[in-house]
Amino acid sequence: MIRAWRIIAGNPLSLTGLGLVTLIVLAALVAPWIAPFPNHNGAVVDFAYANRGPTARNWFGTDLVGRDIFSRILYAYQISLGLGLVVLAIATPIGTVVGLLAGYMGGWTETILMRIVDIFLSIPPLVLAIAVMGVLEPTLTNAMIAVTAMWWPWYARLVYSIARSEREEGYVLAAEVIGARTFHIAFREILPNCMPAIVTKMTLDMGFVIIIASSLSFLGLGVQPPTPDLGSMVAEGARYLPDSWWLTVFPGLAILLAVFGFNLLGDGLREVLGVDQ
Amino acid sequence: MIKTKGVFAAALVAATALTAPALAQSVLRLDEVAVGELDPAKASDYADSILMFNVYDTLLLPRQGGPGHVPHLASGWDVDGVNFTFTLREDVTFQSGNPMTAADVVYSLERMQALGQGLSYLFGGVSAEALDEMTVRFTLEEPYAPFVSSLVRLPIVDMALIEANATEDDPWAEAFLSANGAGTGAYTVTAHNPQSETVMALNESYFLPIGEAAPDEVRLRYGLEAATVRTLIAQGEHDIASQWLPPEVIGALAEDGAQLLTESGTGAFYVKLNTARAPLDDVNCRRALAHAFDYGTALQMIEIADGVSQGSPATGAIPVGMFGANGPEMVMTRDMDAARAAMEACPYPAADWNLEISWIAEVPIEERFALLMQANFAELGISSTIETLPWALFTERVTTPEGTPHISQIFFNAVTGDPDTLLYGMYHSSVPGTWQSPEYLNDPMVDAALEAGRTGATEAERSEAYAALNALLLEIAPTIYGYDRQSVFAASDRVSVPALSDPAMAFGLDGMGFTFRLMEMADG
Amino acid sequence: MSPVLRILARRLGISVIVLIGVSMLIFAIARIIPGDPARIALGPSATPEMVQALRAEMHLDEPLVAQYGHFVADLARGDLGQSLYTNRPVTTDILEFLPATLELVLVAGVLMVVLGLPLGILAARHRGRWPDHVIRVLTLLTVSAPSFVWAVILMLLFAFYLPIFPVAGRISDVYAIERVTGFLTIDTLLAGNFAAFADAVHHMILPAVALSLSGIGQAARLTRANMIETYDKPYIEMAQAYGFLPVRVARSYALKPSLIPSLTIIGLDFAAMLGNAFLVEAVFAWPGLSRYGVNVILRKDLNAIMGTVLVIAITFLIVNIIVDLLIAFLNPRIRHSTRGAS
Repeated sequence: MIRAWRIIAGNPLSLTGLGLVTLIVLAALVAPWIAPFPNHNGAVVDFAYANRGPTARNWFGTDLVGRDIFSRILYAYQISLGLGLVVLAIATPIGTVVGLLAGYMGGWTETILMRIVDIFLSIPPLVLAIAVMGVLEPTLTNAMIAVTAMWWPWYARLVYSIARSEREEGYVLAAEVIGARTFHIAFREILPNCMPAIVTKMTLDMGFVIIIASSLSFLGLGVQPPTPDLGSMVAEGARYLPDSWWLTVFPGLAILLAVFGFNLLGDGLREVLGVDQ
Repeated sequence: MIKTKGVFAAALVAATALTAPALAQSVLRLDEVAVGELDPAKASDYADSILMFNVYDTLLLPRQGGPGHVPHLASGWDVDGVNFTFTLREDVTFQSGNPMTAADVVYSLERMQALGQGLSYLFGGVSAEALDEMTVRFTLEEPYAPFVSSLVRLPIVDMALIEANATEDDPWAEAFLSANGAGTGAYTVTAHNPQSETVMALNESYFLPIGEAAPDEVRLRYGLEAATVRTLIAQGEHDIASQWLPPEVIGALAEDGAQLLTESGTGAFYVKLNTARAPLDDVNCRRALAHAFDYGTALQMIEIADGVSQGSPATGAIPVGMFGANGPEMVMTRDMDAARAAMEACPYPAADWNLEISWIAEVPIEERFALLMQANFAELGISSTIETLPWALFTERVTTPEGTPHISQIFFNAVTGDPDTLLYGMYHSSVPGTWQSPEYLNDPMVDAALEAGRTGATEAERSEAYAALNALLLEIAPTIYGYDRQSVFAASDRVSVPALSDPAMAFGLDGMGFTFRLMEMADG
Repeated sequence: MSPVLRILARRLGISVIVLIGVSMLIFAIARIIPGDPARIALGPSATPEMVQALRAEMHLDEPLVAQYGHFVADLARGDLGQSLYTNRPVTTDILEFLPATLELVLVAGVLMVVLGLPLGILAARHRGRWPDHVIRVLTLLTVSAPSFVWAVILMLLFAFYLPIFPVAGRISDVYAIERVTGFLTIDTLLAGNFAAFADAVHHMILPAVALSLSGIGQAARLTRANMIETYDKPYIEMAQAYGFLPVRVARSYALKPSLIPSLTIIGLDFAAMLGNAFLVEAVFAWPGLSRYGVNVILRKDLNAIMGTVLVIAITFLIVNIIVDLLIAFLNPRIRHSTRGAS
């Protein structure tokens, strides 16, 4: 723990990442108390202030119905982070189990499971999510389903490659000799050795999930209004360029900042946990 | 013989082009959000109408600057009860060179009815017969007063050309007509790419004289983003923007010096209430919403610049200017006291409503109206959710009353300029569950008034029927009448469009202002 | 049989299995669509009889297995059905729009390689010093925003504020170029019209850069990591100990082994670009297959959705095969591997 902190603290970039992530997570958690206009996350209209640039009252300007963009970005972080957590919380276990079974058991299990993974991986990730969203109705839950559907194979593949190399290791062979059951070996012996790689990937993936989810909503396939969402804010605002630039630029930067934070932190973690690319 | 003439004409054009290279081609560039459907039998929306009115002609045209119709492909007509007899002009040829005859008119009607798409519903119960080469008679199964005005939606197609391109699998040559023109119109289709544009060229052998300044080439572009159109116009690379630009963008263009063209008088913004589902199956609950809607703010939202707006105050179901409409002084206003009073009489407690407010994904301004309504109705304690529906999904959802959202937002105009085509499809109990009629209204008195309107023998009789209908609709509130719509188009100074800028030249029919042959391009 | 041919045969075999799987997956996705495809197809004014007739024509009343059978049989004949959005055969649409997307993605791919690899090499050679740090921050920034954010920012800067690039489209109206390959850069050259060629390239710059930015970052980061790993290998340390020039060490010893893993990832990045093209084409009104894909998805145009996804999957498979073959050429050891890199 102390060693980990030393490595992260010793690298200004990782430290920045940690700072950014902490800041954004905190901001999302306390959004209702720190947002200047806490009710602007919903269906509120205030046409007297519609479509104004940044002012002392509205730091990031207001949108077309007069809602405070800064407040909406804070709330949008709640949605983005929540979606990221849910997707990873579902995709990681599924992918891990599939990868472990395929990697450790080998044989037909390996062939069938990994071919299924190959099929999912042979459709470019965003395209798969778009196709799934295309036939479902655009809601937060469906967006989670679509992103999860494209995400789990990557974990399956990661865990599979580790598990496959680990199954020839001495400790696994030893466990087999003393007659440990398959599931015990897979989950108690091999899984812990996959954890560093999984945790690192999850940190980096938080950023990528945010990117994919915002891409879906940019195409109108994500969270629906009046719920604030960074991707749809950029998409909506892009219609009003170049005159009302604040509608697009601030939500765009908000995405950049959050993903940048997770990437910096993930890079740092990779060093701490000694995970290869 | 005809063929030889065509080749000769082409050679002549080529020779002219060679000897007079200094004469630059004038190009008109405009855009629409939806892809234009070239097949005239399937035309229904604005982009389709623009193509149809230019590539094809109709027997008659709306009179410019006033009510009534003038002959176009026809030289005149007689009405005798349910029989309408048209005499055709003798000097009209199709773009292929084939002469136009009565057989083409009959074929055009039959093709439209057989395909059953677009606006073919206007021609149910109509049959046509060629009395001789140049005379055609339409017979109606039952009296229908606005039939003559429906004929502005019957484009005449080239029977010989279509039959030459028909196959066994495709007897009406739908594949051919979805990418090519087969009309008599002033513009021929030279290229059609559904992802980017339809390109049209001036038809040199059009049967009417065309002004020198009319555009030689027209590019109708599809699906451009508002920001793109904004920049293209500012950089002089686009001429007329679609009406679907948000008001802010039109305003910004006007500030940069763009002219604003307008078209009005036949359409409105309708907030449709599903009368087949609780709580909106109760008249008092509906009235509460109609009183609570903030008409003033809605109008403020669509204001573009001083004196120019995408709408004017509504006075009822029929837009001001169309017959049967209320006077311009009887504007709809917000009345919270009346709304609360109506809520008292509404049997469903406000807290249990959970209204679904839908908006059409392709029309961004509707999202703002959805938010406005959510805020307005919340003042009565009504909770609601907003739902985005792409157009294709919306038209599917409205086919059942259970699937239809409580609230749908529709921009609709009378496709022939007659109130019958505005209201019959919306409210008659025989046609529920289309995108025009998500109200699912089933009211015998409304039905009776609609029938009186379409069968009325005289203009005065019809006008009276529609005035009565208008009053009745305001009483039972199946719809919130948001505002009377005015289409506003930002345009560069390169083009002048009298039909969209001079009321005395206006057609009173949506889309017909885009008759390219009547436009004038400045040099350059 | 030469090892490269063997790899090719093996990859093709896997690809066929994967394609069958993909077709099933796409078919499954298309069948969970809410609402009746026949009704959506016919539009608002259709009668129930017309809907029923179309349902029969689309085989919607038959069991799912039979429907899949029809789908595959049609597929084998190259018949993807009719698009409801354009009213044309989906095959026609795909042939028309695919080249525009491929052209854009290929140019972005070239940008990714010619900018990403040198940046990565530069960072690795100056590991731990300021060029490394600068490159690290820059590349991390590029991978930290979705391509539509870059597209919007580039458009705002270089098409609106400094109007040096066009905002939309593939080529200016004034050029009428005969379509031969569908790749405008090639067709304009075939026509001998150099002004049109320059115009097409001019139109392509902003979208291609927006599309490639995160790929450039990704490629640079991976190349750096792989080079550093190779640098730590004993034979490189020995070469450095012998006092070889750093440039020579980098080029002769470190680069080639580092390229192999980078190539695999570049193949994956290419896939990401095929996906991101959906976003970039939307911003720049680029008339390609991805824009078509978005349009047909919004309209629930089933045949077209299936066709588009299938073609993109096939494109991606082909790219993967090419990447595998390249790796085989670069790495003679691969011929001894029985498992290969799946």
